[in-house]
Amino acid sequence: MKNEPQFDERYRLSPRHVDNPGVEKRSRAVLHQQQQHLDRLRNRPRNIAYFEHAVRGENISDAAPLVGYFCNMTPPELIRAAGGVPVRLGCGNAALVQTGEEVLAGDICPLAKASFACVVDERSIASRCDAFVLPTSCDAKTKLGEILEDYRPTFMIHLPPEQNHELFLKETVKSYQRLEAFLGGVTGRKVSRKALLHAVRQGREQAGLVRRLQEIRSECPGALSVQDLFLMIQAASSGVDMEEWCRECRNVITEIEGYSPERRRFRHRVVLTGAPAIWPNFKPLSLLEECGADVVADTLCSGTESCYDPVVIDETGHKSLLRALSLRYVFASPCPAFISQGKRLNRVINLVDEFTADAVINYSLRLCQLFDAETYRLSQVLKQRQIPFMNMRTDYSLEDIEQLRVRLEAFLETLEEI
Amino acid sequence: MISVGIDIGSTTTKMVILDKEQGILAQKLVATGAVPGETADELFRTLLDSVSLTPEQIAIVATTGYGRHLVDIGDSVMTEIKACAAGVQYECMEAEPIRTIIDVGGQDTKVITLTGDGQIEDFSMNDKCAAGTGRFLEVLAQKLELSYDAFVEEALKSDTLLHMSSTCAVFAESEVVGLLARGEAKADVAAGAHDAIAGRIASMIRRTGGSSRFAFVGGGSLNGALLRAMEEHLNAEVTVPASPQLVVALGAAVVGAKKVEKRDASVSEGGG
Repeated sequence: MKNEPQFDERYRLSPRHVDNPGVEKRSRAVLHQQQQHLDRLRNRPRNIAYFEHAVRGENISDAAPLVGYFCNMTPPELIRAAGGVPVRLGCGNAALVQTGEEVLAGDICPLAKASFACVVDERSIASRCDAFVLPTSCDAKTKLGEILEDYRPTFMIHLPPEQNHELFLKETVKSYQRLEAFLGGVTGRKVSRKALLHAVRQGREQAGLVRRLQEIRSECPGALSVQDLFLMIQAASSGVDMEEWCRECRNVITEIEGYSPERRRFRHRVVLTGAPAIWPNFKPLSLLEECGADVVADTLCSGTESCYDPVVIDETGHKSLLRALSLRYVFASPCPAFISQGKRLNRVINLVDEFTADAVINYSLRLCQLFDAETYRLSQVLKQRQIPFMNMRTDYSLEDIEQLRVRLEAFLETLEEI
Repeated sequence: MISVGIDIGSTTTKMVILDKEQGILAQKLVATGAVPGETADELFRTLLDSVSLTPEQIAIVATTGYGRHLVDIGDSVMTEIKACAAGVQYECMEAEPIRTIIDVGGQDTKVITLTGDGQIEDFSMNDKCAAGTGRFLEVLAQKLELSYDAFVEEALKSDTLLHMSSTCAVFAESEVVGLLARGEAKADVAAGAHDAIAGRIASMIRRTGGSSRFAFVGGGSLNGALLRAMEEHLNAEVTVPASPQLVVALGAAVVGAKKVEKRDASVSEGGG
């Protein structure tokens, strides 16, 4: 397939870089604070340092071209099969929001702003990327592509608004084929069927390992903090060697399989749904743990959703593999980017059941209209099913932490008898 | 059995000593100050002394409020939402059940809805700013160069409805300057400010699904003009309990006592 341009060359702007020592200093403080939070956790896996380094981008191999991407609808398998190294661009650093605000509009979500700030900072990993890939999953992403194109070649994956695979699968496969052509242009390597199959199998292995971690945590939430779980999952998309990641992950599994708690656990089990909590913004996760709840399952795209179900391989032909990736990453996605909330509601209700949760917490990121708009139906549907629900509406900043703590603790108190 | 509830708020710290049979033995309110832990310690000792009790005679000390984790004298910690619900029900139990509690404090406003049998059904709090809290009215009183009490008095005198669009403590200042420049009376501006806050709180109540009978607690409920405006906006009577600022500390003592009873019951069951 020909590599058709998506943006109008005539209106390209020269890239603008920002050097703001104040923001830089604060962003280091945010990282330091988050690290302190993690250091205070009990029962951390012995090899957790590997994942900590990885999530800070310290384990990136520079041997192959780096492809920065957003969202779960971008299959990292395709990037790997094209000989690139996938690096997820989402950033959760509260301090960087300010830089993003200076270039993008004010009323865009902190995730888009902070992530964009990484691109314009010449010291960041994002600015070392050779290309960017992002789907049209929200207004911010749709418009971000053209801005990113000023910096590096960028490809937008066109998403169908409706998750009806009978009607729209062809269209999505075509979009993935265009992505293949684009990636080929970046890496100079065509995606072969063999390489794609290998990448898909590797992705399935990763999903299986995360699934196992979840099973152990469900049985025994004290074995691994949800913060460490997220750290491990996000390390996988930080440009690491997948075989190495799988090896380290297996070591964690062996270690925590041997964990036996001293006494019974009486903490409330909750399912976390909503907007992504991305390193170093683990605020919703740490707050929930501090208030005495165990997050036993989640639908966050920065959490276990990225490996909830493995890609299903029916046939191993090239196009069949692209179809399998589309079905997994687009048509089964619980993201609010699509017109029906059905997928997400189903997932939440099933998780409550499967992981015997006591309640559901929704993390609603301020300025993400899609998640905001879904909150009403989510709350009502759960109410009908008598599943306790709380909406945690906040952003990256830490100024509302005490108010949120009161809300969460009060909510958890209502789950008890006294 | 005697239990103690201490509510360490952002502005004031409140303590209640509750006897299961005799009711409230003592209660006191002091400024929280810079070191909440020390304030709570001091209050605990002096109030026990005032009724000739020793710490050993207290079955449980329950702490609540923003400083609930900052003090180490408590045996049980709970949120002010739970304590508030228990305190209001203890105070207002004689009449028809309270279904909605409005708590206007120094730095936040809370709405708690209760089921017919007194369980917490839902609750909401203002977002991270002073809009809709007692602080907003304090700022406006200063802007009008009135003491807080005089500000409330003025508002009660007004019978003209002046519409104020802002409930943001910062933006409202400039709006007030504009209104005064237009020649509006201070009394009407004061009434307008109370009306704006009451409107905002009423909207929060409706979003949370609040219904009659209403109880109004916290420092804000001592403000007669705010009470009047709340009743207008809700089109219902609003009950203010006897000591509306101490009701959360009272609730902590009530829940604490229940916890002791439950523990005792399970111990005797286990023993039998």
